[in-house]
Amino acid sequence: MAFFTEYLADPRTREALLQQTIEHIYLTAVPILLAVVIGLFLGILAHRSPRLRSPILSLVSTFLTIPSLALFALLIPIVGIGATPAIIALTLYALLPIVRNTVSGLFSVDNAVVESAKGMGMSATMRLWKIELPNAWPVMLAGIRVATLLTVGIAAIAALVGGPGLGQEIFTGIRRIPATGSLESLLGGTLFIVILAVLFDLLYLALGRLTIPRGIRE
Amino acid sequence: MSDVTNADPLARIGEEADLGETMIELQELTKRFPGQETPAVDRLSLKIPKGEIVVFVGPSGCGKTTSLKMINRIIEPSSGHIIMDGEDVTTIDPNHLRRRIGYVIQQIGLFPHIRIGDNIATVPQLLGWDKERTAKRVDELLEVVGLPPDEYRDRFPKELSGGQRQRVGVARALAADPPVLLMDEPFGAIDPITRTRLQNEFLRLQSELQKTIAFVTHDIDEAVKMGDRIAILQEGSRVAQFATPEEILTNPANDFVADFVGTGATLKRLKLTRVREVQPSEALIGRVDEDRETLRRRFDESEWTAMLLLDADGRPLRWLRGTDLRQTSRPLDQVGNRTRAMVEPQATLSDALEEMLLGAAGVAIVVDSRGAYKGLLDIDDIITSIQTMKDAQAEFYRAAKLADPEAEVPA
Repeated sequence: MAFFTEYLADPRTREALLQQTIEHIYLTAVPILLAVVIGLFLGILAHRSPRLRSPILSLVSTFLTIPSLALFALLIPIVGIGATPAIIALTLYALLPIVRNTVSGLFSVDNAVVESAKGMGMSATMRLWKIELPNAWPVMLAGIRVATLLTVGIAAIAALVGGPGLGQEIFTGIRRIPATGSLESLLGGTLFIVILAVLFDLLYLALGRLTIPRGIRE
Repeated sequence: MSDVTNADPLARIGEEADLGETMIELQELTKRFPGQETPAVDRLSLKIPKGEIVVFVGPSGCGKTTSLKMINRIIEPSSGHIIMDGEDVTTIDPNHLRRRIGYVIQQIGLFPHIRIGDNIATVPQLLGWDKERTAKRVDELLEVVGLPPDEYRDRFPKELSGGQRQRVGVARALAADPPVLLMDEPFGAIDPITRTRLQNEFLRLQSELQKTIAFVTHDIDEAVKMGDRIAILQEGSRVAQFATPEEILTNPANDFVADFVGTGATLKRLKLTRVREVQPSEALIGRVDEDRETLRRRFDESEWTAMLLLDADGRPLRWLRGTDLRQTSRPLDQVGNRTRAMVEPQATLSDALEEMLLGAAGVAIVVDSRGAYKGLLDIDDIITSIQTMKDAQAEFYRAAKLADPEAEVPA
C-alpha cells in the first residue's frame, strides 16, 4: 500500500483529485436536478393518465438499456464534446428510478386519504401538492437517492467524451497501463467516487429527516 | 293496567318533517358505470328533510354508497338532479359544493402527514378563515368530540386509536359547520363497544346540531338506531320502503323489507319505544320522614308485599317488607333491600327489560333526571307493549292476505 499513500501524499495529485471531485459533484448534481424536474412531471402524468403510463415507463426504461459508452458517443455529433453530452446522458439514465418511484409513491397514498381530501372540496392541484406529493415523498426520495448513486458511478464515463470529473483520473490510469503510476490513478479515481457516493448517501439521510413529515416517518 | 300510547315521538317527527322543509332532494338520480349493462343506481328519487338523519340501508351491491357519493358528486351522476336547499347543485363547481357538505367515510382518511389540529382545520383553511378563528374552532370541535385539545391537537393520526381517529373524522367534517353531512358506514370499522359509544355520542351531538344527514350502513340495527327515517334499498338503489324505523319494523312494505329487517323485529321494536311512552304503575310509597307507625298501617291495609321507601327528595331508597316495618331496632333506611333497576323516561323498553332482568325483582323503577321516583314498570308492561305491536303486525298481514290470498301469513 506504500505506493498508494505516496501517490496520495503528492500535492499535485491531491490538487487534481480535489478539482476533479468538485467537477464530479457538478456532473452528478446537475443531471439529478434536471431529472427530478422532468421525472416529477412525467411521474405525475403517468399516475394521472392510465393511457400514458405504460409508454412513459417504457421510454425511461429504454434509456437505461442503452450502453452508457454508446449513448455518450452518440450525443457527440449533436452537442459536441465536453460536459454537455455527459449531462444529457446522465439525466436520461437518472429518469427511470425517479419516474418509477414517483408513480409508485403516488399510488401508495391511501385511497381513503385522497377521497376525503376530494370530499372536503380540495381541487385536483391542491390535492396533489398538499396531500398526494407529501405522502408519496418518502418513496420518491428513495428513487432520487438511487438515481444519484447510479449517476455518481456512470459519471466517470464522461471523461471518455472529453467531460470533466473523476473519470479523467481513472482513464489516465487505464491509458498508461502498464506504466508505473497507472494503477494508482485508477484506484485514486475510484476511491474518490466511492467516498463521494457515501457522502451523497449521508446527505439523503439528512434530507429525509428534514423533509419527511413526522406523521409518516417509519 | 298500563297502556302503550300510540303517539310515537319518532313517527310524529316524521309527520312534521313531511310538512317541513326538504334539505336535499334527489330527482331521478342515475349512475351508469361504463361497461355495465344495468345502472348501479336507477332513477333514485328521495327527499331528505332538514335536520333529520336518513339512513340508506340495503344488501351489499345495492348501490347505497354510490347513491351517497353522488350527493357530493365524488361520483358524478349520469343523469338526474340533486337539489340542495332549493338550489340545483348538479352542475355547480363540485369543490364549492363539497365545502358545504361534511363527509365522513369508513376508512376515515385522515391526512397522515399533518397533525390532528391541521386535519380538522382543512375546510376552514380552504374557506379562507383567519388563523385565530380556525384555531378556536379546532379546539372547540376537539372538545365536542371528547378529545382534550391540549392533549390531542398536536398529535399525528397514527398516534390515535381507531375510535379516536373516527372522532377526529367527525370533527373534521363538522369544522366549517356545514348544514349537511354525508356518512358512509362511519362506525363500520370500529370494535362493537366503541361503536355503540360513538353512535350514542353522535346522536347526542345531532340532537344539538340538527344537521341534515345522509347515512349509509348495511346493518339494519344501526339503521334503526341512527335513523329518523330509513330508506331500504334494493338492487339499483330502488327504494323498497322509505319510512320511520317504527313503520318499517311494524309494517314492512314487502317481502324484501321483511326479510331484510329479519326475525328480531319485535326485539328491535323494543329499542324504539321509550319508557315515557308507557304509563307506569304506582308502587306502595313510604317516605323516610313519615312516622313508622303510619307506614306500617299503610302497608298492612294494602295488598302489597313490599313498600318503596323514598328519601326527602323523593329518590328511591329501599324496598321494605312487613318484617322490616315491624322491627324497631334499626332505622328504616338501613333495613330491607337497596333499590336497583332504575331507568329514566328516555331509556328504551329494551334498556328497561335489561334492568329488570339484572335486578331480578321483575320491576324497574322509573325516575326522572334528578333521580326522583315517577312510577314502576314491570315485566307485564313490556309484554303488553309487545302484544300491542304484534297485534298491529298481525293486522298488517291480515290486510296483506286479503289483498293477495296466495301470500303466506306468518303464524
